[in-house]
Amino acid sequence: MDGIHDLGGKPGYGSIKIDEPEGPFHHAWEAREWGISRCARTPDISIDWWRHCRELIMPEDYLERPYFDSWAQTDFATYIDAGVMSLDEVVSGITDPDQYDKEIPPLPLNKTQVILEDRKSAFRFDAEIDTNPIFSIDQEVITDRQGHDGHTRLPQYARGKRGIVHAHHGAHVFPDLSAQGEETHQHLYSIVFEANELWPEVGGTNDKVYLDLWENYLSGQSI
Amino acid sequence: MPEYDAKKVAEIHQHLHSHLPSDSALRVKALESLLVDKGLIDPRTIDAWVEAYTEEIGPKRGAHVVARAWSDPDYKQWLMKDAPAAIDKLGYLGNATAHLKVVENTDSIHNLVVCTLCSCYPFSILGVAPVWYKAAAYRSRAVRDPRGVLAEFGVVIDDKIEVRVWDSTAELRYLVLPQRPAGSDDLSEGELAGLVTRNSMIGTDRDLTAKTGGIS
Repeated sequence: MDGIHDLGGKPGYGSIKIDEPEGPFHHAWEAREWGISRCARTPDISIDWWRHCRELIMPEDYLERPYFDSWAQTDFATYIDAGVMSLDEVVSGITDPDQYDKEIPPLPLNKTQVILEDRKSAFRFDAEIDTNPIFSIDQEVITDRQGHDGHTRLPQYARGKRGIVHAHHGAHVFPDLSAQGEETHQHLYSIVFEANELWPEVGGTNDKVYLDLWENYLSGQSI
Repeated sequence: MPEYDAKKVAEIHQHLHSHLPSDSALRVKALESLLVDKGLIDPRTIDAWVEAYTEEIGPKRGAHVVARAWSDPDYKQWLMKDAPAAIDKLGYLGNATAHLKVVENTDSIHNLVVCTLCSCYPFSILGVAPVWYKAAAYRSRAVRDPRGVLAEFGVVIDDKIEVRVWDSTAELRYLVLPQRPAGSDDLSEGELAGLVTRNSMIGTDRDLTAKTGGIS
């Protein structure tokens, strides 16, 4: 989706605010949202659907509201979409007992236990598949020119561009379909692009941009 | 069950835009209290996650990995080949690092990591990402003007050095292995870890020194 989130190379966002306080959280509510995200999740959701729901936030909110606020808003949206919460509950902050059967609350965990949970959350996204990779290391490839209106991980700036296969990583969950509830796996490659292939203003330079791209995004044919 | 209907979710966002309080703290408080009321979360577990990511899981883990790689050539070789296994040896495998890749700075190469599409970050070794990493200015410019971005961080890259930008578009995550500072030959692994800055592991810092550090 060519949404507001697809920021690579877009002009106009100014200088980087590099001076910020030390520490992971700058407000107590940021820490709460981080903690919520680590221990509650909309049932049966994929990371790709969650990411897509975040991409669908209205552009002014996406760009201007604080980062962890967008996580809270995405959580609300996915809970409402999945029927766990109603819009009325979210707006009022008051639970409607008819809306969702109360679960038996999980046992509380302490710091030592959540550090073990963090270790367990080292989720893998790869799998063995029956098909061999189409492309080989050092082969020239061309990326898809079009994109589509759903979730995708081929950024606009890297469409219709010529790159070289730098590495093959086996088959990984294909995000475009995972964001529609279908888990399929497809060969994933690191593709290296010369900076002057991507950006018209870049002259003689050896600088490069590497992206991790799925086979569906790539073609070996000349455009 | 999610319906995977983007139009419906866009409409939900419009409603939330119109009806939620503007204050982020109130929004998150409402989210937490609804999840508690529905029996989906225990607030003590939220406390524990905040403590874990404030006290234990942060860039000092990455700094330890870097210091071990500087001190032990076999470990470095393992890290470059199979980073998830190598960081698991130190107890640091976890959230978003099961497909970790390490990219090494040299005299002729500088690496810089970004996520232009969202905010992917190797949480279990670097902790919570800084605000600038997740903001539009960095995400838009790092792929197009990496040298200009680096200059804003006070890092000037010689024209002879090749800049490699890694845009984290898949579930792979990247950690930059910075160069060991000159004059650090006699330092212990613990002392070396004290020289490593968080930004040097993202790539927005380059020349570490044997005197100044690092992560407290």
